[in-house]
Amino acid sequence: MSESVVTILNLTVRFKDKIVLDNLSWNIVRGQNWVLNGISGSGKTILAQLIETPKGIDGSIVYNFDKNSPLPQQVLYVSNWYHFKNLEGDANFYYQQRYNRKQARETLTVEGDFKVFGKEKGLNIADADSIIDALGYRGLLDSQLIELSSGEHKKLQLIKALWLKPQLLILDQPYAGLDVASRKNLNTLLEERSSEGLQYILITNDSSVPDNVHMYAQIIDGKIVAAATNEHSSEILHELEPLPEFLQEHPVYHADQVVKMIDMNIHYGEKQVLNNINWEVKAGEKWLLQGHNGSGKSTLLSLVCADHPQSYVDGLFLFGKQRGSGESIWDIKEKIGLISPELHWYFDPSATVFTSIASGFYDSIGLFKTLPYSQTVKVREIIAFLNLKDVQHELLNTLPLGKQRLALLARAIIKNPELLILDEPCQGLDNDQTQYFNKFVDKLCANGTTLIYVGHYESALPSCLEKRILLDKGHVVKIETIQ
Amino acid sequence: MANYFNSLPLREQLNQLGVCEFMDIAEFADGVAALKGKKVVIVGAGAQGLNQGLNLRDSGLDISYALRQEAIDAKRDSWKNATDNNFKVGTFEELIPGADVVVNLTPDKQHTAVVTKIMPLMKKNSTLLYSHGFNIVEEGMQIRKDITVIMVAPKCPGSEVRAEYLRGFGVPTLIAVHPENDPEGKGLEQAKAYCVGTGGHRAGVLRSSFVAEVKSDLMGEQTILCGLLQTGSILSFDKMLEKGIDAGYASKLVQYGVEVITEALKHGGVSGMMDRLSNPAKIAAFKISEELKTIMRPLFQKHQDDIMSGEFSSTMMKDWANGDANLLKWRAETGETAFEKTPAGDVKIGEQEYFDNYTLMVAFIRAGVELAFETMVEAGIKAESAYYESLHETPLIANTIARKKLFEMNRVISDTAEYGCYLFDQACKPLLAGFMKTVDTDLVGKNFNEGKTGSVDNAELVHINAILRDHPVEVVGRKLRKAMTAMKSIKTA
Repeated sequence: MSESVVTILNLTVRFKDKIVLDNLSWNIVRGQNWVLNGISGSGKTILAQLIETPKGIDGSIVYNFDKNSPLPQQVLYVSNWYHFKNLEGDANFYYQQRYNRKQARETLTVEGDFKVFGKEKGLNIADADSIIDALGYRGLLDSQLIELSSGEHKKLQLIKALWLKPQLLILDQPYAGLDVASRKNLNTLLEERSSEGLQYILITNDSSVPDNVHMYAQIIDGKIVAAATNEHSSEILHELEPLPEFLQEHPVYHADQVVKMIDMNIHYGEKQVLNNINWEVKAGEKWLLQGHNGSGKSTLLSLVCADHPQSYVDGLFLFGKQRGSGESIWDIKEKIGLISPELHWYFDPSATVFTSIASGFYDSIGLFKTLPYSQTVKVREIIAFLNLKDVQHELLNTLPLGKQRLALLARAIIKNPELLILDEPCQGLDNDQTQYFNKFVDKLCANGTTLIYVGHYESALPSCLEKRILLDKGHVVKIETIQ
Repeated sequence: MANYFNSLPLREQLNQLGVCEFMDIAEFADGVAALKGKKVVIVGAGAQGLNQGLNLRDSGLDISYALRQEAIDAKRDSWKNATDNNFKVGTFEELIPGADVVVNLTPDKQHTAVVTKIMPLMKKNSTLLYSHGFNIVEEGMQIRKDITVIMVAPKCPGSEVRAEYLRGFGVPTLIAVHPENDPEGKGLEQAKAYCVGTGGHRAGVLRSSFVAEVKSDLMGEQTILCGLLQTGSILSFDKMLEKGIDAGYASKLVQYGVEVITEALKHGGVSGMMDRLSNPAKIAAFKISEELKTIMRPLFQKHQDDIMSGEFSSTMMKDWANGDANLLKWRAETGETAFEKTPAGDVKIGEQEYFDNYTLMVAFIRAGVELAFETMVEAGIKAESAYYESLHETPLIANTIARKKLFEMNRVISDTAEYGCYLFDQACKPLLAGFMKTVDTDLVGKNFNEGKTGSVDNAELVHINAILRDHPVEVVGRKLRKAMTAMKSIKTA
């Protein structure tokens, strides 16, 4: 009964001069489903990757798959980050690309991608049907990969993993970007599949996990420590210090009316993505924007951020001016600080923490100008404030997710913008980081910043939010005051 | 219509060939002001047309698309591209008369027909914008005297023009004003404003002339860019097969090798590319490329001469008139080569292996880049223009080969480039027959360093390095690349 599927002995991993995993041993018994946790940078992702592909390791990892099971004898690791390529095999995308309409197809469709994956792994396409339906993915089969939102990309990864059904499945941040209903569906799917022999490890700090999780563990100081529940030791977060002075100033409002939409419609061919949207955001208001995956939230925000080519219509006013009245997108962007999963995903891979933050002054993806001294000082101040000093010259995308998000938040606020758009800013952060982050947002916005915040979970929102707009299938279904 | 260049006195020919100024960013301080509020109508909504239009509109300009009635009625891709992005679309008759600037972004071959049709519709004192000067210079298209004629040519594919703009950067761009058509003296200001609208001013702008652009562009594409890459690829592949190298391996080495090798060229010029070789391999590649330069120089000169005299364009236009008979025949022949028909093998080739096992291609590229550059400069083209049309574009073309071999390269480039490429290839292969007999697998197919001690003579290496680094294409390249430092190290085409 207590046969192991994976036995890890004395695994040590170093990153630069730091020991990440320290003589770690872990016995994963067959049939046991785990939740793995730990603070940002504790080595969860590295451990999971090594369990899938134990390349050049210091220590041993021994596998003992069930030879009698029909399930593939392998470990599949599903990363917290999604990857896809265009038809030419490159991954040279920009975050606004999904809104630019071109007849020439740039990426595979979802259905095409499934076919390629199924062929590669020798799977029967019919076996994917039930998973596709369970995650509400049927309507996306004809969409190109480039058109998917971050939540939809996450689901695509999950569908493939559950379809392959390996003997051991490791999901890294499986709930990131999923709406509440989709999380439930995922849990149900995991419960069903494990009755068919799939065993899983979830890397998450979330408490609403499937019912058949047996074991909890966290990585502390490079070692596995068993736990009774999904609680984990806190990172020592510094109490929020006073904001740097330049962020304590009231931002300059260019207009009292930040956003106004009158009967806005967005459609791609026959597909209506936004339907008769009417919405007004006044200077200083704090809005919560919510809706299911695919309800149109990102598209709505792309109109505000001047990222959508279909913005050039009557009925859209930004900062008091009709869109398309001679302003450039840079005139609009300079008033906005933005952070979103897509911006993060497509961010310049050659940017360091410092240049990423500095690029916020110019709204560019990467820094192309020499930074004047006055701005260099501000970047330094915010780096010190967010405790990013020791990593300021590291490449952004080599840091743990939590630190990357903090750096991109710094980029968003560095110019003390009058409008701050935070689209799921806490995706991938642990509970403490989320709390810290939201406190920071509260403090910042107390100075008069207008806020539009997207977040799925009520428990993890800043407290300054006062109004809520709810989207469903491209319609505004509710606008209300938050009590 | 008579060849415009040939109608000029020598003094004026030299004058126009010599227009070449690498512009300072400060010259773009007025932004898009010169076009603000003007009606800009783009003819053609392909990759360049659509992406330039998206950028210009995002820069605050008034953009619409004029399409032929048939394209609108049939809801062709160009119509969908424009309407799906909420652009105003109309027929020539509807939109051209109101246009302050008409942007002609149709393929070269259609220019005469399109311009002949739109010119009578254009309003007095409006502007006609091209992105290539062939129609004006080689075909001698005469534009009404009240109309201003300018050129803005982003030196990257349309998708990249859009991607770089949205990142807050741009792509290197060439601008020009046609001296015969600048009645109000506003041409340069409008070209600069258009360039800012597409984001080009951030990545380095070269002020050129229609004449310099055409004569250098034709030369570059026929010789180093397409011609030599095609000849070098086919000869390398055939040599490997002859020597018993696995066909799948050979196919992969050739298909992806040019891309990997020219990526080094893009970042560090010819010397940066040569530096990727071991010292003994570098010395060998240097010597071979010297030999190649001697053999091929007369051919490069012939191409430049035919381009300057108009011989090339008149021959090609005869083929246009003949339904592209030669072009189509040669295209089919290229499709039948052994390289084209052998799929890349399922073998892993590491990045460095592409240099170590393909020293011959490094030598070909050094010889081709330097020869094209030298020949252009000898013909009166300035160094900056010659750099753009030789070294700068080589990685872009190499990338198309990596995608789908020579077929893809010839499909993506213009018909003009393709035609010239075949002429070069046909003449170059026999020239190199004797040389290729001396080539063995240490230069192509196997690791050059295998079985060698790696020792070199210090003095010889220092001497060779100095020759490589002091070449004028390297001197000008270092200056120009500085302005493009922010260009991503990703595939560009």
